[in-house]
Amino acid sequence: MTCNKNKNMINKLTDICNEFNNDPDDLIGILHKAQGEFGYLPKEVQIIIAELIKIPSSKIYGVVTFYSYFTMKAKGKYPISVCMGTACYVKGAEKVLKEFEDKLKIKNGETTPDGKFSMSSLRCVGACGLAPVVSIGEKIYGSVKVEEVEKILSEY
Amino acid sequence: MKKIKTISDLNAIRKVLENDRIDSEDKKVIVKVAMSTCSIATGSKKVISFFREQMGLEAIDSLVVQTGCMGLCHSEPTVIVSVPGKDSVIFGNVTEKKVNEIITSYIKEGNDIEGVLLKKNS
Amino acid sequence: MKKDKQIKLALKNCGSIDPEKIENYIAVDGYKALGTCLGEKGSSEIIDVIKASGLRGRGGGGFPTGEKWEMASKFVADQKYVICNADEGDPGAFMDRSILEGDPHVVLEAMAICGYSIGATEGYIYIRAEYPLAIKRLKMAIDQAKEAGLLGINILGSGFDFDIRLKYGAGAFVCGEETALIASMEGKRGTPVIKPPYPVECGYKGKPTIVNNVETYANIPVIINKGAEWFSSIGTSGSKGTKVFALAGKVKNVGLVEVPMGTTLRELIYDIGGGIINGKKFKAVQSGGPSGGCLTEKHLDTPIDYESLKECGSMMGSGGMIVMDEDDCMVAVAQFYLDFSVEESCGKCVPCREGNHVLYQILNKITHGKGELKDLDKLKAISEVVKSTSLCGLGQTSPNPVLSTLTNFYDEYYDHVVNKKCVSKQCRALVEYKIIEDNCIGCTACKRVCPAEAITGEVKGKHVIDPELCIKCGACIEKCKFNAIIVE
Repeated sequence: MTCNKNKNMINKLTDICNEFNNDPDDLIGILHKAQGEFGYLPKEVQIIIAELIKIPSSKIYGVVTFYSYFTMKAKGKYPISVCMGTACYVKGAEKVLKEFEDKLKIKNGETTPDGKFSMSSLRCVGACGLAPVVSIGEKIYGSVKVEEVEKILSEY
Repeated sequence: MKKIKTISDLNAIRKVLENDRIDSEDKKVIVKVAMSTCSIATGSKKVISFFREQMGLEAIDSLVVQTGCMGLCHSEPTVIVSVPGKDSVIFGNVTEKKVNEIITSYIKEGNDIEGVLLKKNS
Repeated sequence: MKKDKQIKLALKNCGSIDPEKIENYIAVDGYKALGTCLGEKGSSEIIDVIKASGLRGRGGGGFPTGEKWEMASKFVADQKYVICNADEGDPGAFMDRSILEGDPHVVLEAMAICGYSIGATEGYIYIRAEYPLAIKRLKMAIDQAKEAGLLGINILGSGFDFDIRLKYGAGAFVCGEETALIASMEGKRGTPVIKPPYPVECGYKGKPTIVNNVETYANIPVIINKGAEWFSSIGTSGSKGTKVFALAGKVKNVGLVEVPMGTTLRELIYDIGGGIINGKKFKAVQSGGPSGGCLTEKHLDTPIDYESLKECGSMMGSGGMIVMDEDDCMVAVAQFYLDFSVEESCGKCVPCREGNHVLYQILNKITHGKGELKDLDKLKAISEVVKSTSLCGLGQTSPNPVLSTLTNFYDEYYDHVVNKKCVSKQCRALVEYKIIEDNCIGCTACKRVCPAEAITGEVKGKHVIDPELCIKCGACIEKCKFNAIIVE
């Protein structure tokens, strides 16, 4: 990582932490903003935040790894999430997940070599009426069938 | 909204707003489109803008508004249509084609059409 | 249309007003209850109304709301907090999201009423980051309410100050537990602590704190407006009012319904839900998410209330109702829930962290055809230990799916371990793919698609599947146009 890039990162994180008055109580809010900014929360980001809000970086690491929403790995340009909530599970989400894995030739939790897609499963987006549900970025696809997976991917 | 300073002010404002609501229900065709996460995922954004466009073209005195989840997830997008003097009805699985049918046949000509999920007394 | 079994209190405005306009809310008696409280009622009077209404927590626990408020009101502190639990983590439940998206002001109004009656001036809504639309509408609603002077300093000239902020969850189911939620709000890992002291005494930042669920709050204004007597006339003797259920799974009318307490499961699934899709046979209904149990045909006439569901080995939970049909394997369903609990266990206490893991392993063994009869006893014994020794609600309820399926579907478990059969044909290790000779015309479609080269046969000749090589992927069934391949 170059010096410049690092400086840029420090500036952005300083702004974010200031927004929350550098209050360790708002660590989760800070991490949300930071992940929104950088896409993920690598070690460097965690160390800088630790220094800014004056808590041990080990504590931040503990929080980042505790919550499933936070990730330390870079996601793809189009992050694909297959809902594995109960309603989706009962309606065959597992098969849809497998089809995505097969078509993209990656496993759940991985990113394609070109960085275009990443795969994850999540717990219930609360759109159970549309089960099984897949979200790609901000877009939500409902009642997804295995045969539709290829078509969905071709949109990107 | 202007700052409400006392409880009696709040009650007065409520009266006005309530009357406005009843008034428009008496005179206008009111279309409410569900705009919750599930509805938006099935295309309700398109439905609401198409409704607005078509109602404008047909020059129908109407209000097209968004609302929350109606609980009828199995038939999203859902739309409530209230025509003055008639019970409100909820249409399910509304597409652009259905919007045209609702406007020409149900609202303008007053026919009963298919696709009604339920009637409710407004 | 059989919608008349529903009564909408918590969902009163959902689907009828524009959630992004405060004027719409005020026009339908919005903030009227807050006005009444500030103008005419003292703190203890409000608490008495809530107590008399019989309202109980809608997040799953079922603790009497009025009593909770009373306890918090009695502790003396320089600050108290009102928290709304909107971390709807129960897979299959989405009523909180619908209320927040469809009627955000009702929650703000109720929180202000709660603040006024316990003596708090700050409120927080702890909401899942996975609900962007609900967050957007809540933010909008808070801004509008502040502008209108319904939140902020000196509300309606009464001298009462109340402000609400949002805090975000980050995807941890255990944060639905109130002490874990508070830890998370303080920027920590969401692990629960031993109670007592309860949050009403020592909660957020060590101050008296009320934590109520979204749906609980949504009932408050209507209780104030219409009175405790009216509210308590709905429901059963121990469970008053209504409950919102998210009906999902293999039911025709998937959706959100609100019914009076005491409605039976049958009415919910058949009259309102329209029965099972594709004409299949009803098998089970799972209520209460990963903490609940699977109920069967024989429970269909059980009235839905806190106590009755508990007696059957399930629980109210937050109100997810997943309907399952004959194609669902109950052992696999139990395994699915355990997988969830294992992943979501915070790891603080041993019974939950290790016990659930062992339960999962045993279930995994059974669904892979390696189960033995004694495993069933083990499942039961370990479940009991986890239930009675875990620190928080997550571990105390996580074995419920196992115990309830063991009780209600013992035959299915028995079939898995003794006969090595899965009647629902869901457990891959226990099924076999076969070609029916009479139907096979020898088109070779299945042979070509088989990734394991397990199918042999000549063009126009009969094909066979080698069970040793078959990986049971099902690709051949999809390709066969002659219904010649079956799963046994």
